[in-house]
Formats: sequence, C-alpha cells, structure tokens
Amino acid sequence: MDATNPLRRGLVEDRTGDPCAVIIFGASGDLTKRKLMPGLYNLALSRALPGGFAVVGVARRQQSDEIFRQAMREGVGKFSRRKILDEAVWSDFERGVSYVSGTFEDPKTYTDLAKHLDALEQERGIGKNRLFYLAVSPNDFGTITRHLKEANLVKPPSRDTTEWTRVVFEKPFGHDLASARALNDTIASVFDESQVFRIDHYLGKETVQNLLVFRFANSLFEPVWNREHVDHVQITVAEEIGVEGRGKFYEQTGVTRDIVENHLMQLLCLTAMEPPISLAADSVRDEKVKVLRSLRAMDRSKVPENVIRGQYGRGFVRGDDVPAYREEPDVAPDSRIETYVAMRVFVDNWRWGGVPFYVRAGKRMARRVTEVAIQFKKVPHGLFRAPDGGIRPNVLAMRIQPDEGIALRFISKEPGQQTILRDVAMDFRYGTAFGSNTPEAYERLLLDAMRGEATLFTRRDEVEAQWEYIDHVFDAWANEASTPPPAYASGSWGPEQADDLLAHDGRRWRRP
Amino acid sequence: MNPDGSPLSIPPGPATSVILGRIERELRDMWSAQLAPGEAPRSRACTMNLVVAASSRDVADRYTAVVDEVTASIPSRAIIVALEPDAPTRALEGSASAVCVPGESGVVCSERVGLYASGSVCARVVSTVEALLVAEIPTTLVWLGRVHTDDDVFTSLASSAQRVVLDTEYTSLASLVQLAKWSREEEGRPALADLAWTRLATWQELCARFFDEGRTREHARAITRVTVRQASDSGARLGSETALLLGWLATRLGWRATRMGGALRLKREDGRDVVLSVGAVAKPEGVAPGALASVEIEATTGGTSMVGTIVRDLASGADVEGKTPDADVVNWSLDLTGQPRQSRRVRLRANKGARVLERTLHRPAHDAALVESVRFAENFFEDGVVIR
Repeated sequence: MDATNPLRRGLVEDRTGDPCAVIIFGASGDLTKRKLMPGLYNLALSRALPGGFAVVGVARRQQSDEIFRQAMREGVGKFSRRKILDEAVWSDFERGVSYVSGTFEDPKTYTDLAKHLDALEQERGIGKNRLFYLAVSPNDFGTITRHLKEANLVKPPSRDTTEWTRVVFEKPFGHDLASARALNDTIASVFDESQVFRIDHYLGKETVQNLLVFRFANSLFEPVWNREHVDHVQITVAEEIGVEGRGKFYEQTGVTRDIVENHLMQLLCLTAMEPPISLAADSVRDEKVKVLRSLRAMDRSKVPENVIRGQYGRGFVRGDDVPAYREEPDVAPDSRIETYVAMRVFVDNWRWGGVPFYVRAGKRMARRVTEVAIQFKKVPHGLFRAPDGGIRPNVLAMRIQPDEGIALRFISKEPGQQTILRDVAMDFRYGTAFGSNTPEAYERLLLDAMRGEATLFTRRDEVEAQWEYIDHVFDAWANEASTPPPAYASGSWGPEQADDLLAHDGRRWRRP
Repeated sequence: MNPDGSPLSIPPGPATSVILGRIERELRDMWSAQLAPGEAPRSRACTMNLVVAASSRDVADRYTAVVDEVTASIPSRAIIVALEPDAPTRALEGSASAVCVPGESGVVCSERVGLYASGSVCARVVSTVEALLVAEIPTTLVWLGRVHTDDDVFTSLASSAQRVVLDTEYTSLASLVQLAKWSREEEGRPALADLAWTRLATWQELCARFFDEGRTREHARAITRVTVRQASDSGARLGSETALLLGWLATRLGWRATRMGGALRLKREDGRDVVLSVGAVAKPEGVAPGALASVEIEATTGGTSMVGTIVRDLASGADVEGKTPDADVVNWSLDLTGQPRQSRRVRLRANKGARVLERTLHRPAHDAALVESVRFAENFFEDGVVIR
C-alpha cells in the first residue's frame, strides 16, 4: 500500500489497514470478547481502521446483530484498555459489526456468509478483501478452511488484482509435529502460505519487538552477544495464576505445549538469531528458523538430564492459599501433566557453540515475570579482592512483563577509603520513559494482518521446527516409567530438580 | 527557592553564576534530602532536556502547566525561560523544583527549572541554560513566539538543541519559513517541528486513505480540484494548517506552483491544472483561528471520478470527557463512480497544548515532509492568499 500511494510517503501518523471485512469464526467465544473486539475498537479509536471496514462474527449461537453488538460492547467495556467514552467512535464502529449464525460443519453457514459479505460490499464499500480469523478450537481449523474454499470465499493471491484473502490461526497450532504437519497440509490445500497468519501473541508485545531493536540498533551489545563473552542465557516465563478453570484444556496441553513450544521458543529465537538482511517478513523468519534448526536435538536418553518437569502442589501465592493442580476442577487426581518445565538447550552454531540456554516456564510460581537474561562471563583475572568469594558477572536482563524494561547489572566501588565492590544496576523502564498506554499485542497483530505484514507471525517451517524439537521431549516422556512429575509448592520457583539442573553446571537460576 | 519559598533572585548587576550555582545546588539537594516519615521514595527520571522560551513571564507561567503535563509522560529536565529584553529592569531570577507523578513502581519525578530574565541580562541566559542541560540526552527547544533568526538569543539556544518546536497556528507561518531557511543554511542545525503540522497528521492520514485502494490509487495523480475550508472570518489570511496541508499535498503529488498574471496556480506533473479553492466557515468559540474545517478532493481518470471529503464537526470535542474542543469528530467519505459510498466517523486527536507537544516530541526529529511542505507553503505566504 505505502509503495504506490504517493500520499503515504513519509507519513508519520498511525498506520491504517487495507479496506476489508474481518470475519471472526468463534465470535461468541472468550477470545473475541476479551481480545479481538477490544483490539479492533482500539484501532478505531486510533483511526487505524480503513474507510471501508466491517466485522462479521460467525458462531453456532443463534442471535441477532443487535444482541451480538451488545455483547461486544460489554466485552469492550470490560476488557478494553480504553473504555467506551466516545460514543461517536463506538457508534461508527458498531455500524460495521454484524453476525452470521451457523455451525462450522454446515455448508449453509458459508453460503449465508458469502451472501452476507456481498451485501456488505454494496452497503459499506468494503471491497473484496477478507480476513478470516479462526478463534476456534484447532479441531475446527480443517473443517472451516475446507468449507471456505468450497463456498468460493478464498481467492488465491494474484498479480492481477490487489484484492486479497487472508486467514489468521490462533494457537495451539497442532498438538505435536505430526498434527502440525497435517494441519499445515490441510491449510496449504486451501491457502497459499503468503495468506496464512499464525498468531503467537507474544510477538505482538512491544517489548518482544524491542529485542530486535535493542540488539540490532545498538552497536554496544552485538559485539559481545556470543560465546566469547556470554556465559549462559536464562529465559523465564513464570505465571502466578493456576489453570483458572481451564483444567480440561490444560490436561490436554501442559505448559510445554502451552508456553514452551511457541512463546518461549520465539523468545529464544529472537535472542539467538543472526541479524536479518532486512525487516521483511521472510528475512526475519529465515533467521529464526536457522536458530530452531541449530537446536541440539535430544535423544530419549538425554531428556532426563536436560529437561525437568514439575506439577504444582498446594501453597501460597501472594499470601493466599491455593490448591494443588490435581485439586483443580476437571483435572485428574492422578494427572501427570506438567505445569512447570525447565530445559537446558544448546544452539549449536558458530555464535553460540557451548553456551547453555536455560529456559523455564511454569504456573503458580513465586511471581509473574517474563524475562530474557544474558549472563556474561566473569572477568578473566581477579584484580580486586572481593570478600564474598568473587566478583559477580554482569547481567543484562530484558524484562518482557511486567515492568517492561532493560537492566544492566555491573560492579561499582563503594565510596570510601577501602576498595569495596558492590553490584549496581542501570535500570531502564518503558513505562517511565515512554508512558504506559501502549497498544495491546492483538491490536498490533490485527493491524499487521490487515496490512499483510507477516513478520510477527510464524511461518509453516518455523512452527514445524518448533514441534520437531519439542517432540523429542514428549517422546522421552511417553516412554518414561509412569512416575508423576515432581511436585513443587505453589508460590515457589519450581521443583528442586530444576535447581539441580543448573547446580550441575555450577550455575543458579535467577530470582527475577 | 529562598528559605521563605520565594524564587532566588539577584539585584541588577551581579554575575548570573551566583544564580546558576544556587539552582545547581537546589537540584542536587532535591535528591539527597532525607525522606520524611511516610513519604514515598522518589525516582528521578530524565529522557530529554526540554527548554521552553517564552516572550514574557506571563506566557511562561501559563505554559508551565503544559510542561508539567508533558514531563509526566516524558520525564525531562524542563527549563522554562521567560525573556523580556525590553523590560526597563535588568534582573535574573531562578528556581528549581521536582515535578512528580505516581509511576508503575513508586513516584517518578522530573526536574523543572524556571528562569526569568529581563533587560540586558537576557543575553546571559543562554550560557545559564547551557550549563543546566543534562549531558548525553537530546535537547528540544520550544519557542513560544515569533522567530527572528537574527536574534542571538534564539540562534544560540537553538544551536544547543537537536530540534526546535514552534506553533505556527498561534505565531505565524513566516516564523516557520524563516526557521526552515535558517536550518538548511548550515549542516548540523536543529531539525524543525511545528505543532500545527502535528495537528495536521490525522488530516494527512485521512487524505491518504482516499488513495489506498487499488481502484482509487491512480486518481492520486489525476486530482482536478482541491477545496479547503478553514474556521476563520472572511478576509483572514491563510491559516498555517491550510497552507501546510496544501504544501504537503503538492509536494507528495509533484505539483508545481506557477503564476499567471500574478495569481498562484497549481500544475500537476502532467501539466494540467489543479483548481484550488480556499474558503472560510464560521469559527465557533474554542476553536483555534484558521483551524481546518473541511477538505474535498476531486479526481477523474479512466472514466471514473472520485470525490473524497473530510468534514469536521467543529467544536464537537467539547462534549466528550477528556477531550478538548478541537478533538472533533470528522466525517470521512469516499464516493467513486459506480461504487457504494464509504464513510467513517473518526475523532481527531486531543489537541490540548500538552498532548500535541507530547505527540510532537514522540515524532522523528527529522521530518523531510515538513521541510518540503514548508518550502512549498512559502508560495502561499509570498502570494498573500486571502480567504474569501
């Protein structure tokens, strides 16, 4: 769009999506109410929605446009970062919201949808651009995509037209490598890969995007971002919450599928990747795939010494009593699902050879924090006497959430006659420097999908490479004796075995 | 401050370094003082030097609230300077204070220094400001008044900044034109910014939208008429927003300004004329004089015509909580031959002084489109276009 519209040249104002209809399958679900509609409404407030624009909800539930709009209004009122204070903007946005009811298996749903979209084109001038958003269970992905094709709702990309069809898939994208491949094959039979947008909402977070800026827009850090200077890397995705009523879902997923396979792997890629030749979607994604392909595969016998799982028991989180995982609703009393996992990962390439990446993710941890911490090597010679056993190495911690920011720990001299060394930190916080009213991840990603910018979405080979690595772990676990994962107290930092994982290498987990 | 809370001041004559020393001490003491029992710990944050130069103490005092609001979201060392060179007295006064707001994890404070100079002391203010700048962070000069690039105080203050911000809606486009000329005379001079240009950003984006679609894209090179209305009395001069918008359109689309019998004409790249019509609508209370009221762009190519219209509900922002009278609703519409009308209602950004300055500070320092548009807008300025 920017390349050919001369008035877009050098424009500083917010980006705008292409004129289009956004069609949300699973419109009566939680994601639509909590994230998608608030995201779209905030785009409307930011004047980022195009002139021709409509949202069509599709779901099984029978309801009128009015009832659907009312439900969406309530969702926006409750979950949007900016509330509906501005009736002028809301009423304009709401005029473009409509609803089509039907089951995903019924062909009539799609013929109804096609007629509805044709009518909208006439009424609202939205053109033929369509963004299908599948906010549904992965079990429905195949059914919906096939029916979309059969109803002639999918146009292949063509140089002869600027009209487009795109599809957004929510995670989880597959259950393992085989299911991810099968799903990709189904999708590929309907859509070209350039039309497919697989969401990992972590990539829409400002601070995750800033990992690239931090690394590649500052000349200070990149020269030391390698095995010569880095001792190890720790990546933590810790949550205070438990399964929050999603016991049934969690029993089928566990933290490895829910967090490690996608969010955590993406953080690892952004931390370890080489500079891309440009910020074009495929340039960035090529580099991430190279990292994934460099991960040292673990055969079955190596998994126990490199991967630790755990399951939360009772404990205290923020001072409150919380139940054990097995006491949660819809969770089997003898469940073996992991709610915590810690892994020692190696990126076997020129830059990172021999540098361990310790990654961990868990529920009911001591505090909610997501961070990437680069621990540098110690100084080669102890010039200063440090009474506490040595000078602590420098650490660069990039905090993704909460209190987004970057902290650099280094050593300083205490003022006085004696040379007493002390850890100090240079602490940069986004909220302080730039204010805290930043767009939510879904706003950014929805707009990117409307504009066809795929950098922040995962490509087919990326998803499959992620699963390929994680599948080794599942393979080992499937063949383990039926011992349950070690329990850890809720409100702690995970099982003792996870501490041993690092202690074995002479290292310790950070307490972020 | 003096012990009794009054600003530090010196009688005419003594060196300004005395005042400077006191301010520096105040700034130091502010952060070394013991916390009172129950007092929340304060963090000092500073991401830029924000120097504001006002033409009188009164203007500086009024603008202090704007600065405090801006530094709440962009922590800075703000130095507000009131300059009254023509005042009969010769004096310098100064004070320093912390301006704190609750942050995500405690209280975050900016520093605000106030300086008031009168008479010949004004010439010394530049060196005082220079000494108070925090090193290694960018400096922005906000100049609240007309720019005279032969004024040593202005050029010296501007030379220590990376960016100079004006508001031509309240001063004049001539100031921006002069500043742009001065800025391009020598490499390394500060970039320029204009709050009127920042306010224009949404209008520009809405205009660009007319040509986003494949079926209207070619119309951008085939514009036949541009009609602009501004909120002002008939006979008023062309407002800054109007002039800059036209300059922006012309430079993006490769139009040339020509004069036929002294009257300004616009020519497209293909040599055809673009009819320009500028008019006025009544200005409701609370709306800035010369504010843009509507834009209409007509184009015809390949047998299809398009008319894109942006009409502002003037002063409609006054009814909305947290908005200002100029954060109005605008009605955007696009009519294309044989197609249904597209329309949207969007709200302009809140243009309260603090918000628009904040947005300006968040924009890239160097804005080639502004520089090019100002150059083109000189045509309107030279032509003395009058609104009918």
